[in-house]
This record gives sequence, structure tokens and C-alpha cells, in this order.
Amino acid sequence: MVSRQPMIEVRNLYKRFGNLEVLKGVSLSVGRGEVVVVIGPSGSGKSTLLRCLNYLETPDSGQIFLDGVEVDPKRNLRQVRQEMGMVFQSFNLFPHMKVLDNITLAPQKVRGTDKESAEKLALELLAKVGLADKAHSYPGELSGGQRQRVAIARALAMQPQVMLFDEPTSALDPEMIGEVLEVMKKLALEGSTMIVVTHEMGFAREVGDRVVFMDDGHIIEEGPPREVFSNPKQARTREFLSKIL
Amino acid sequence: MSFRWDLVWSSMPMLLQGARLTVQLTAIAVFFGVIIGTIAGIARLSKGPQKYIAAVYIDFIRGTPLLVQTFIVFYGLPGIIGQPIPAYTAAVLALSINSGAYVAEIVRAGIQAIDKGQTEAALSLGMTSAQTMRYIILPQAFRQILPPLGNEFIALLKDSSLVSVIALEELVRKGQIIIGRTFRPFEVWLAVALIYLVMTFSVSRIVDFLEKRVKNGV
Ligand SMILES: Nc1ncnc2c1ncn2[C@@H]1O[C@H](COP(=O)(O)OP(=O)(O)OP(=O)(O)O)[C@@H](O)[C@H]1O
Ligand SMILES: [Mg+2]
Repeated sequence: MVSRQPMIEVRNLYKRFGNLEVLKGVSLSVGRGEVVVVIGPSGSGKSTLLRCLNYLETPDSGQIFLDGVEVDPKRNLRQVRQEMGMVFQSFNLFPHMKVLDNITLAPQKVRGTDKESAEKLALELLAKVGLADKAHSYPGELSGGQRQRVAIARALAMQPQVMLFDEPTSALDPEMIGEVLEVMKKLALEGSTMIVVTHEMGFAREVGDRVVFMDDGHIIEEGPPREVFSNPKQARTREFLSKIL
Repeated sequence: MSFRWDLVWSSMPMLLQGARLTVQLTAIAVFFGVIIGTIAGIARLSKGPQKYIAAVYIDFIRGTPLLVQTFIVFYGLPGIIGQPIPAYTAAVLALSINSGAYVAEIVRAGIQAIDKGQTEAALSLGMTSAQTMRYIILPQAFRQILPPLGNEFIALLKDSSLVSVIALEELVRKGQIIIGRTFRPFEVWLAVALIYLVMTFSVSRIVDFLEKRVKNGV
């Protein structure tokens, strides 16, 4: 399942906001088709790590490789972003556009796909996330869970090599969490490479190939979900898990 | 002394002629003002040196009277460029440049009001900053901008009266001419005021209408 060349490799990443050091030398390798679930307390740097991967935040130092190619904001930033689909906690759908246009915009403007193929793909993706009938709705007319599924479809429409999820269900009412996790699970089973920041431990256990525990800007512990959850080696991991499980 | 309604009515044709010029000047100035203001507003938020050029422009215009700006264009500029500037051109120039600075601030505020997540989502899809501005930010900012932009149009409609000082026969200037002949300032200025009121009221109605249309589009 995991090939030799990692899909994403992070080496020694540092990031500070003013005086606040948020990432203190993070290294991480994600294999092709692997689902890595990142957990950790609030403020530990999970979002920052994810946002550094596609340079929504610029790291202070360290290297990021996508499929063996180093990410260099001066040279390949936009190509890299096209290959990393991102799903945000707050959906960030474009409210002035219909669902279909939300999904087809980037493929057309960025990839240069023609309108017809872009719409065909968008409708397929909408069917996949269970929203085939919502193509002509505006985001404002959808529930939170539906919006997040559209956001996933929008990211998928660029046919990225990696999907990044930053707490995709944290802004949702409890009854809508399941439908979003279901879609994510489907993607995982199809072999997508995914990095998922989440507090949904059930998802981590069931879908994750590996769990990464972050605290205070460091990766403290990582391993298969079963091991990390049932037999955490580090005291800080134990403490965190005891609070949330 | 009694109030002479007949004078109000009889000055109307000539005043309306002036009002036509007022509307024309305002419309042209609004058109260029929106273009200049959009560019300056975006430049103001950018990171390059254009940011400072835009800031100087906006602060200078907003910090000085339109009357003085009109004098600079009409009386000052010809000495620099070596040829006279027709009053009409000078008025359009002064009003457009003036309006541009106010529109720039409106545009800036409108853009800043858009959630940062919108830009992040667009960038994360691989869009350029320009595409993000064009397809994501500006269309949404436009909705925010519409009401203050309407107010700016109304302000400009009234402020355009200042160009009467360079002998352009817009509404106020026409009023002055009629008073010169009739010596009845009260009736004439009242008539002028009524015409302004009708114009500003119409503009605000139109803006309200557009605002509703845009809102329903969501
Ligand atoms: N743009 C920013 N400017 C300043 N500080 C920031 C910025 N973004 C994040 N931080 C700070 O960096 C720290 C790490 O934030 P980050 O969002 O990465 O944490 P997190 O692990 O995702 O937490 P949460 O579970 O609450 O989402 C926090 O203390 C946060 O306040
Ligand atoms: Mg976070």
C-alpha cells in the first residue's frame, strides 16, 4: 500500500508567529495512498503544519517534498497547490456561486479544462458525495454537512494527489458529522492519500493507517491507530487520550 | 413681498438644462471614479510600491477640498502642460480623480470585509492572486460596496456644483445666471434645491433597487 517514494515528506519544519514558536522541527512522511490522522491538543500546531504544506503559511525553515519534488514557492507553488486539495473547518465555499460553479471554477481557470468536461466531472463528484441534486443550489441553501461535502467535491475536482483535511467536521452539528466522515472514508478506501486533522477518534481508528500525535509544536508519537490508542508510549499522549476518549 | 411660484416654474427649463450637465458630469466622473477607485483600492491593499502611491493619492485627495483640486486642474495644470484645459475636461478630470479616492476607500473596506478563508480556498485550489480577486473577492465585495458606493454617487452629484466656479453651466451656475436676470434668489435657489432633491432621491431609489436585486441573487 505504501510505496518507497513518499507522497509527502516534511523535513524539520519550523514556523513561528512573532514570538510564538508553533512548529519546532516537525518531520513527517506520508506514503502514497496512506491516510494519516493528526491529533493533538488545541494550539499544538496541527493546522499550521497542514497550512505550511501548501504554503498558506510560509514556514521559517525546513523542507517539504511532494512526490519527490521540493516545494519551492518561487518556482512551483501553484502546481503544488493544485496537487494538494484542502478542506477547511469552515468550508469556505464561494457563496456567490452555485454549487456547480464552485466546483468547476478552478478546473477551468487553473487546469484549463473546458466547461463541458469540468461540469461532467463536477456532477460525477457531486454524485459521489451524495449531492447530485444540489448542483444548482447556492451554498447558503445547504446544511453544514452538505456544504462540507461540496467543499470536498470542489477540492477533488482538481484531481489532486493529496487531500488535506483540517478538522472538517468540527463546525458541524453532531447529526451531520457522520455524512462527511462517510465520504472521507470512501475516499480513503479508493486509495487517496490523505492527511486528516480531526478529533474524531472513531474515524482515526477505523480509517487511519497511522496516527500522529502532536503537542507543543512537536510530533510526540506516531504509529498505527490501534497501538497509539491502546498502548501509547509517551506520557503526553496518554494524558491527551485520557482526556478525550 | 410675496413668493413667486411663477418664477420657480419659468426658470425650470433653463435649470433642467443645467441639471442635464450635472447628471452628465456626475455619471462620467462616477464611471472613471469606479475604475480609478477599484485600481487604487486594490493597490492600497497590495504589497508592492504601488501601495504607497495609492496611499498618497487617496490621502491627498481626501485631505484637500474639491474646490482646490478643481483650481489645480483648471488654473494650475495648463501652466505645467503648456496648453489650456477646457472647463468641461477640467471638471470631469477633477471630479473623477476626486471620486476615485473615495471609491478606493470604499473598495478597500469592501475587500477587507470578505472572509480570509475565501482567499485561502481559492489559493489552495491553485488560483493566482489575480484570479482570486477577479472571481472570488471582487464579486462578493461588490455586494458590500453597493450601498456606500450609492452614497458616494449622491455626494458627487451634490459636490459637482463646485465646478460652477470654473464657469461650467451646470445646475448651480444656471441658477446664478437666472438670479442675475431676475434678482429673485429665494425662488431660484429653492428651484435648484428641488431639482437636486429629485436627482439624489432617484439615485438612492435606484441603488436600493439594485441592492435588492443583488441580495436576491444569493
Ligand atoms: N496567523 C497566525 N498568527 C498568529 N498566531 C497564530 C496564527 N495562526 C496560528 N497561530 C497560533 O499558533 C498556535 C498553533 O495554532 P494552530 O492553529 O496550528 O493549532 P491547532 O493545533 O490547529 O489547534 P486547534 O485544535 O485549536 O485548531 C496557536 O497558539 C495559535 O494561536
Ligand atoms: Mg486547527
